[in-house]
Amino acid sequence: MVKRQLPIVNALGLHARASAQLVRLAAGFNSTVKLVRDDTGLEANAKSILSVLHLAASLGTGLHVIADGDDEEDAVVAIEKLFQNGFGEI
Amino acid sequence: MKKVGGVIVSHGQVANELVAAAEAVVGDLSHITAVSIGWHDDVEMARDEIRRAIAKVSDGAGVLLLTDMFGGTPTNIAMMFLKENDVEIITGVNLPMVIKVASNNREMSLHELAEEVEEQGKEAICRAGTLLAPQRPSKDG
Repeated sequence: MVKRQLPIVNALGLHARASAQLVRLAAGFNSTVKLVRDDTGLEANAKSILSVLHLAASLGTGLHVIADGDDEEDAVVAIEKLFQNGFGEI
Repeated sequence: MKKVGGVIVSHGQVANELVAAAEAVVGDLSHITAVSIGWHDDVEMARDEIRRAIAKVSDGAGVLLLTDMFGGTPTNIAMMFLKENDVEIITGVNLPMVIKVASNNREMSLHELAEEVEEQGKEAICRAGTLLAPQRPSKDG
């Protein structure tokens, strides 16, 4: 299991299209991937867009990713990169 | 893989716009289409239009009809298709329900998908303020 903090750097946070990008990326890995809000502990399946949207994560929300499976490290690195790039919005 | 098709049926242009919005989020939605029924449309015409829409998205796995309001004309006309075994109707369509149908990439029966979409539609309705209460920003924060 790999766990890492995610930076939300784009102004709109995890809005619909950003979430769609994340879900497409996460779906490409075998590992289970979930996102967890630091403040409320709310969890989301990173492979389900509606689950991700329910996090309502905006700029500044503390969030971490947890991947579990044979490609967990690759999944976390790829997702971290997507967040660092602000979903291509910055 | 056979996919359950989706037809959104509404008064006015709501159906078209819901599909357009879902498409902007999820991408290509070739298995979902919209039927917008005008306020003065003839019932026979509207029924033909729904029939054509069902045929267009049907893949052999059944078709889910999402309508705007129980008791409204779009729903009532859609109900005429209920006697066909491979059609289910869910009323009170919202964007998360359309996204659910759009992003369904598992092998799922019409029945299973219908249950999930109904559930999803209800879950998606919430008082956002109560969900976010713990971290509502304060004036000086």
